[in-house]
Amino acid sequence: MITAAVLLGAGAWCVCLMMKPAGDTVIISQDGKELYRLDMGREPDRIIEVEYEGRRNVIEIKNGEIFMAEADCPDHICVETGKLRADTPIVCLPNRLVIEYEERGLDGTAR
Amino acid sequence: MQTVSRILPVLMCLTMLSSCASDAEKAPAADPNEKNSGSVFAMDTYITVTAYGENGEKGISAATKEIERLEKLWSVTDEGSEIYAADHAGGAEISISGETAELIRFAEEMHSRTNGALDISLYPVLSAWGFTTGKYRVPDDDEIAQLLGRTGVDRIKLGDNKLTLPKDMEIDLGAVAKGCAGDKAAAALKESGVECALLDLGGNIQTVGETKPDGSKWKIGIRDPNGEGSAATLEIGEGVVITSGGYERFFEQDGEIYRHILDPKTGKPADSGLVSATAIGREGRYCDALSTSLYVLGEEGAEKLWRESGDFDMVLIADDGSVTITEGIEDSFSLTIPAELKVLRR
Repeated sequence: MITAAVLLGAGAWCVCLMMKPAGDTVIISQDGKELYRLDMGREPDRIIEVEYEGRRNVIEIKNGEIFMAEADCPDHICVETGKLRADTPIVCLPNRLVIEYEERGLDGTAR
Repeated sequence: MQTVSRILPVLMCLTMLSSCASDAEKAPAADPNEKNSGSVFAMDTYITVTAYGENGEKGISAATKEIERLEKLWSVTDEGSEIYAADHAGGAEISISGETAELIRFAEEMHSRTNGALDISLYPVLSAWGFTTGKYRVPDDDEIAQLLGRTGVDRIKLGDNKLTLPKDMEIDLGAVAKGCAGDKAAAALKESGVECALLDLGGNIQTVGETKPDGSKWKIGIRDPNGEGSAATLEIGEGVVITSGGYERFFEQDGEIYRHILDPKTGKPADSGLVSATAIGREGRYCDALSTSLYVLGEEGAEKLWRESGDFDMVLIADDGSVTITEGIEDSFSLTIPAELKVLRR
């Protein structure tokens, strides 16, 4: 009985994994170097802090979405970008930080 | 607990299976269709280069070096750049390189072709709004009128390798530099033996090669100005797709939204009824100049320019959500959001 339930559960889980849209992996990189690889389908709500030459970026994951919560940069364009979209990376130029989806299903997006 | 101990091995097996699968997906190094990518922070944006084939890495390095070289030449803030030197020459004549002279000449030509919608002399006005620094403010009408007095492409004195700007004038090649860098980076990729590559210069898309190695066309999205993801996709061969939109940079003050693309005639954010304008063509600098101009001109002005030109296609998204495209891309264009679509024909 338990075995059946487990198999069923595992089966359902597999289907879930297969159904999950491609491109759920978010990469956080700094100066071209990958810092984090996140499976957004499984990430719990949390805060990630990243430093660059004494300056700080605070990245927040909430309800499966990711955004720049705070940044020690002069322009705050990264914070204003809001939640990460499939087609537009969050970029903090002064701190060389990029948050982006790994696969976009397209070769590029004009924006 | 017992359930967990039974699930765990299943999970572990599945994890192993999936990790095997992902290893198998990674192509062996000797693959002629090998895909390489690199990135560079330059020209006030994040640039990625993806190149296929054995010369990929060499090509990426050549392309990024070329972009960094051009940034040093054209940056408006780098004290070593030719544009900085021109802006701070106090009215004196300075020597510039042939390629800077050529780009300024091109911008002048686009200024006249677009009836003034493209204006590289608008920098003092853009600065006053804070769009160059992020320290946003709303200048009053007197200040704007006074700053507009410092603009005027016709006041630029350009010789073969000489440039003179009136003392109160500042130019900025921001509306054409990234596009031109795309052209030159694409040329650098080709010179390195790359036949197939894609450059993404902060959202300016430029391709090398009529198809990808698998023979399929390049599939390019156009950002949905009002929602998540793309509003449309476009299949292109070798070419350029560049979009300008008010969503790129803006601020809100007293309930009013101010967007970063200024109308050179008013010195205020362009209010043409478009939320984004995309130019599709063969040349990066041309499409870059066009996307800004089309956005400023609005639907009617953009249509007129398109009819006069015959060497580009466009996608216009209006603030009522309707989409206008030109006939040249009709077969390769598909909407990915529900919208009213109009096709312009000659």
